[in-house]
Amino acid sequence: MKINRIGAPLAVATIAAMALVGCTTTDPGEEPPASTGGTITVAEVNELTAFTSSTSDTNLDMNGKFIGYTRSSFFYLDEALNLIPDTSFGTVEKTSDEPLTVKYTLADTASWSDGTAITANDLLLAWAAQSGYFDDASLDPETGEVASGTRYFDYAGDTSGLGLADRPVVGDNNMSITLTYSEPYADWQLVNPIDAPLHVVADKAGVSVEDAVDALTTAPRGDAANPNENATIKALADTWNTVFTATSLPSDSSLYLSSAAFVLDSWTPKQSITLVRNEAYKGDLVPNVDTIVVRFIGDAQAQVTALQNGEVDIINPQASADTIASLQALDGVTTLTGDQFSYDHLDITFNTGVFQNAPDVREAFLKTIPRQQILDAIVTPQNPEAQQYDSQIFFPGTAGYEETIKSNGADAYHEVDIEGAKALLNGATPTVRILYNINNPNRVAAFQAIQASAQQAGFVIEDAGAENWGSLLGSGTYDASIFGWISSGVGVGGVPQIFGTTGGGNYSGYSNAEVDRLANLLQVTLDKDEQDAIQVEIDKLLWADGYGVPLFVAPGVMAHSDSVSGVVYYPGQAGVGWNFWEWTKS
Amino acid sequence: MSLSHTDIPDPTALEREVETEGVSQGRLILRRFLRNKIAMISLGIFLAVVALALSSSGIFGIPGWWKYSHTDLPKLLDGGKPTLSLIPEWLGGDGIHLGEHPFGQTLIGIDYFAMTMRGVQNSLIVMFVIGILVAVIGTVVGAVAGYYRGWVESVLMRFTDLIIIIPVIVLGAVVGQIANQHFQGLGVLGLSIVLGLFLWTGLARLVRGEFLTLREREYVDAARVFGAGDARIMFRHILPNAIGVVIVTTTLVMAAAILLETGLSFIGFGIRTPDVSLGLIISQNQTAFSTRPYLFVWPGVFIVIIALTVNFIGDGLRDAFDPRQSRFVPRKMKEQVKA
Amino acid sequence: MVSFIARRLVVSVLLIIGAAFIMYVLTSLAGDPLEEFYQSRLPNREQLMAQRIERLQLNVPVALRFFLWLGGAAKCLIPFADACDLGLTVQGQPVTELLPQAMGATLQLVTAATVLAIIIGITVGIVSALRQYTTFDVFVTFLSFLLYSLPSFWVGVLLKEFVAIGFNNFLRDPVIPIPWVIAIAVGTGLLWVGLIGGDMRRRLTVFGVSTLATAAVLVYFNLSNWFITPALGPVVVLVMSAGIGLVMVALLAGIRNRRALLTAGISVAITFVVYFLVQPLLNISSLYTLMILAAATLVVGLLTGFFVGGPDRGQMMRIGAFTAVLSAGLILVDRYMRAWPTYMGLSSIRGRPIATVGAETPNLVGDIWVQGVDSFTHLLLPTLTLMLISFAAYTRYARAGMLDVLNQDYIRTARAKGMPERVVIVRHAFRNSLIPIATIVAADFGALLGGAIITEQVFAFSGMGAMFQRGLSLPDPNPVMGYFIVIAVMAILFNLIADLTYSALDPRVRTR
Repeated sequence: MKINRIGAPLAVATIAAMALVGCTTTDPGEEPPASTGGTITVAEVNELTAFTSSTSDTNLDMNGKFIGYTRSSFFYLDEALNLIPDTSFGTVEKTSDEPLTVKYTLADTASWSDGTAITANDLLLAWAAQSGYFDDASLDPETGEVASGTRYFDYAGDTSGLGLADRPVVGDNNMSITLTYSEPYADWQLVNPIDAPLHVVADKAGVSVEDAVDALTTAPRGDAANPNENATIKALADTWNTVFTATSLPSDSSLYLSSAAFVLDSWTPKQSITLVRNEAYKGDLVPNVDTIVVRFIGDAQAQVTALQNGEVDIINPQASADTIASLQALDGVTTLTGDQFSYDHLDITFNTGVFQNAPDVREAFLKTIPRQQILDAIVTPQNPEAQQYDSQIFFPGTAGYEETIKSNGADAYHEVDIEGAKALLNGATPTVRILYNINNPNRVAAFQAIQASAQQAGFVIEDAGAENWGSLLGSGTYDASIFGWISSGVGVGGVPQIFGTTGGGNYSGYSNAEVDRLANLLQVTLDKDEQDAIQVEIDKLLWADGYGVPLFVAPGVMAHSDSVSGVVYYPGQAGVGWNFWEWTKS
Repeated sequence: MSLSHTDIPDPTALEREVETEGVSQGRLILRRFLRNKIAMISLGIFLAVVALALSSSGIFGIPGWWKYSHTDLPKLLDGGKPTLSLIPEWLGGDGIHLGEHPFGQTLIGIDYFAMTMRGVQNSLIVMFVIGILVAVIGTVVGAVAGYYRGWVESVLMRFTDLIIIIPVIVLGAVVGQIANQHFQGLGVLGLSIVLGLFLWTGLARLVRGEFLTLREREYVDAARVFGAGDARIMFRHILPNAIGVVIVTTTLVMAAAILLETGLSFIGFGIRTPDVSLGLIISQNQTAFSTRPYLFVWPGVFIVIIALTVNFIGDGLRDAFDPRQSRFVPRKMKEQVKA
Repeated sequence: MVSFIARRLVVSVLLIIGAAFIMYVLTSLAGDPLEEFYQSRLPNREQLMAQRIERLQLNVPVALRFFLWLGGAAKCLIPFADACDLGLTVQGQPVTELLPQAMGATLQLVTAATVLAIIIGITVGIVSALRQYTTFDVFVTFLSFLLYSLPSFWVGVLLKEFVAIGFNNFLRDPVIPIPWVIAIAVGTGLLWVGLIGGDMRRRLTVFGVSTLATAAVLVYFNLSNWFITPALGPVVVLVMSAGIGLVMVALLAGIRNRRALLTAGISVAITFVVYFLVQPLLNISSLYTLMILAAATLVVGLLTGFFVGGPDRGQMMRIGAFTAVLSAGLILVDRYMRAWPTYMGLSSIRGRPIATVGAETPNLVGDIWVQGVDSFTHLLLPTLTLMLISFAAYTRYARAGMLDVLNQDYIRTARAKGMPERVVIVRHAFRNSLIPIATIVAADFGALLGGAIITEQVFAFSGMGAMFQRGLSLPDPNPVMGYFIVIAVMAILFNLIADLTYSALDPRVRTR
């Protein structure tokens, strides 16, 4: 008994002491010496949700930006939307115009971060996804749902362009593919046939790489009339559609392989991701910094404070007048403002109502639109250099825009011309119903300004604003509409969509045979300069017909601490990280 | 000491008062309230704010004395710096004057005094509309439930239980979003009506509790014997005895409603541009703090003044209505409104 | 008891289902998830819309859709089945995958705020009640009303500006200017005068001593560069733990109780010796080491009380345990302070420690001490923001509750029996004044979770509030419902706990 009394506590103490010692850690010591390049911290609004942005679920800004940091491609777009090839990844070569034939050759330095070389296998997978080649689904015209057959890859973009091409021919020791289009495809330069690593997708799908390649190179083109599901491709596609989504760092690093200068190192959910140098990268776009940390900070004001407090180096918040003002007032911070690829515009309904077959009324109405006033009220506070947006087609800052504004006649609508409008109306008082989104304050402001101005010329403006404005588009219940287009900024596929008589986005009932002809021509024109020339022509026709007026391009803002250099404003979705390799940190 | 809560007044003094002057219960309460210094000072300040907000920018189409409205775009003067000066000349200041733009201007030139006043006005509208709705609905539901009991009570009270589970700010955000989606045209009024339709639950519970006890009193039986109808008994006989709970709770709900509205506007589910709310302009001017603090400070100061004075008034009313009353019941109600 | 809980649970579940239905309908009214497609120029718009309609079952009428959702949610009740289904986001992520992370972040925030608000709020409220009508009482009353009327978003932004950016700027040259030293010292002096009270002479003495002492400390801070290299050091640890010991004795046993003094003294002495012994171990500690050490401290404190014992063994053990644990806490604080220079020197901190966004510095390299300091610098401001309002409320409740109790007959009886005032307050009044607070804490927890929506936005904290706000504005209904269900279950749970606590504190309330 006595022994127990002493022994038991002794035993407990011994065990406790052992546990205590066992639970210690080694001293992590000093921070590893900062290597030359340093770390740059970028604030982003949204969190990463997947290691791909190609499926319709993952096509979100942060996923795209992540791909920008960790994936090489055949080209990238610079700040003026010029295509800049990255030959250290591969080359694109148009080998024939008739039929359009394009050859993609990989550089032998291109490899995934696990050491696997990037080969034509990977290009094949990307082509299969982006072309919808194997799809044999028929859609229910009512609901848009698949009625029969299979839609394999849930690709976020439009498959109709690459769908024109035949199955690619693999060559150069499995290092190149050649695409032959059945008809000319105007946006062929924007085709970028590289996506997820095939060996990973095949592995996750439980298919061998050989079988996968075999299926991709032999399975017939999908035929909606005779649907026939291919199990291998179905497995690949299902994997491709789903396997790359994540809410935290997966234990399997093959899911986030890199082919560019950075590779994902860690991910603290809801907080940040850390990108470190990809040791396997041998390409040209070599960054100066060693680490990029992306922190997820949703609130614009919180981003600004974080920048001010030195917690982040670069921010890319939602633009607002005060965000910009407060950024400009901060010491040691550089603010970059510019345009975004979205614009608000006023369109006129051509096929019904007061403007039908009435060019004078159209012109009179457009003359009353106070474009400068709207710009001053909505955009100028955020981007003091903003100017009236004068093209229906080109974005400001592009070469085509400079060309088109010389001749398209938009300058006739720079100033409100009440007298001119009255003269055109000749005493008539047409009623104009204007549709807009009543939940968008900018649209409301634009409507109010237009209403006040147009009434002076004798127009009776009827407020047709609605919260379900979107479903009313094209319904013919209004004479003019104010809404916004969001665009990728490149490519010409949108032109026939909006301005063609049968285009899916032609809500105005606009129809001009010449525009249709030019738009169709545009679709089969392969040369960028010729495309621009055709679009200039179309732009001129649109203005002459009184199609409507663009109101303004949405402003954007980026800012960085002065300890970082090389940050360049970028209007597109790639965001501030588009030229990360040029960043330096002092 | 007016701030005391379980401050039990000398009962004999109270009796003396009643006996000597023969005053009614209402006058007694009023006198107690008027004697409460802090509540009176608060009331004075509150009325001054109301007067300032209503008179400066006008209301219901009546123009105010201030030269700008929150939608005017005058020229930007001196970078929008505030011109208000409160230091008299003999102290080396610029003298006491408002100047052209006492609170400064926003970047595009809108007069910030006009904006702030409009925000105050909107807060007051929200406060009073919610107050009225809460008082009316809460009282009626509570009274009916407490008076009839049985299945009526069960149905009404289970319904309030359902709504009470949802935290007020969550409910407010969802409801505010609905108001913005479907009652956009109604603006501030729409928002406050929709909010008011959901905030009465706490009061209803309290009123029901009061009615449950009061309905057993003899005077209720007496009234019934004399053939008074249910409605008459409820609202003429019982309600006057429960009015204290209604008034006090409503006041505190109103104070909390101001904070709720500004909070909702701050996170984007309340009042939206082009209209103005104090919470919204704080949200818009957060980062202007280091450069143009006046954009940030004024709306905040007004929120605090309104909420603080209304809280003190409510506290004073409580002391006046029932100096002995425990503080927990109305507080709890307030807790629910305030998130 | 069991049947009481069971009955409550059944009612609660029904209530949650009803409230969820209301919430579901309201959320569906609050926005159209297809809105974003209306102005899309994407060529495959129709197909994306079809996909979303299918994913969110938008083709089912709202009332029916609710029951589909409820069916999925009901599976969460099946233990270990992992069949929980709270629907998908518009992007097709299961809500159940998003919730745990968000809950973790928010609970971290709300728990600290609640605990601190309860402890500080109740303490201040009770002291204020005991000092009724003094300057201190008026000051606290006014302060609590003021805090109660402050919009939390406004406070949050002010804190970011002054405490984070202001303090970080201050750290570049960490010397408090003399006028500030004087102002702080006088303010502290006045606070102590209000707190202690007494006649004029006593007031003057208290004011003089506390003002001078504060000024001396601040000057010492300036001279020793304390804000860059803070530490308590052994002497301060000893003095402060002695103070803790005295307070514990005074509160729990009365200052004349020799045994109690002995217990506290031994605990303090052991702590002081351990202070030196444990330092090398602390340097290489992990979280588990600390947990073991904490347990050991508790045991040593209890043992001290046990062996000193005497007739009132339980009381001595309490005193020993409290003293030991709190004094050991000082050692921890001291150790955290010494990690401060290391933390400040990190390349990711760059001498600006107080953070304005997020919950942690990405890729922080450091031991648990540096990690701890990092959590502290990130959670400090949001916790403060959340805490201030609850603090105000608790102060009011605690003050009113205490005054209520002090006016009860049994307190008069106790005093009439000749019980020492200490015993009357601590044994009789304090315990009873806690009863109403139990319910209020439960009700307040829900409100606090709601308040986190605003705080999370101000400090870019990606918790449940952010999830709710995002879901509501997108609109993306299922995360909103996920948020709601968590909040509702928590609220119900806390109310249940409150009821049980109630019955534990108040024997008259029986839970049948």
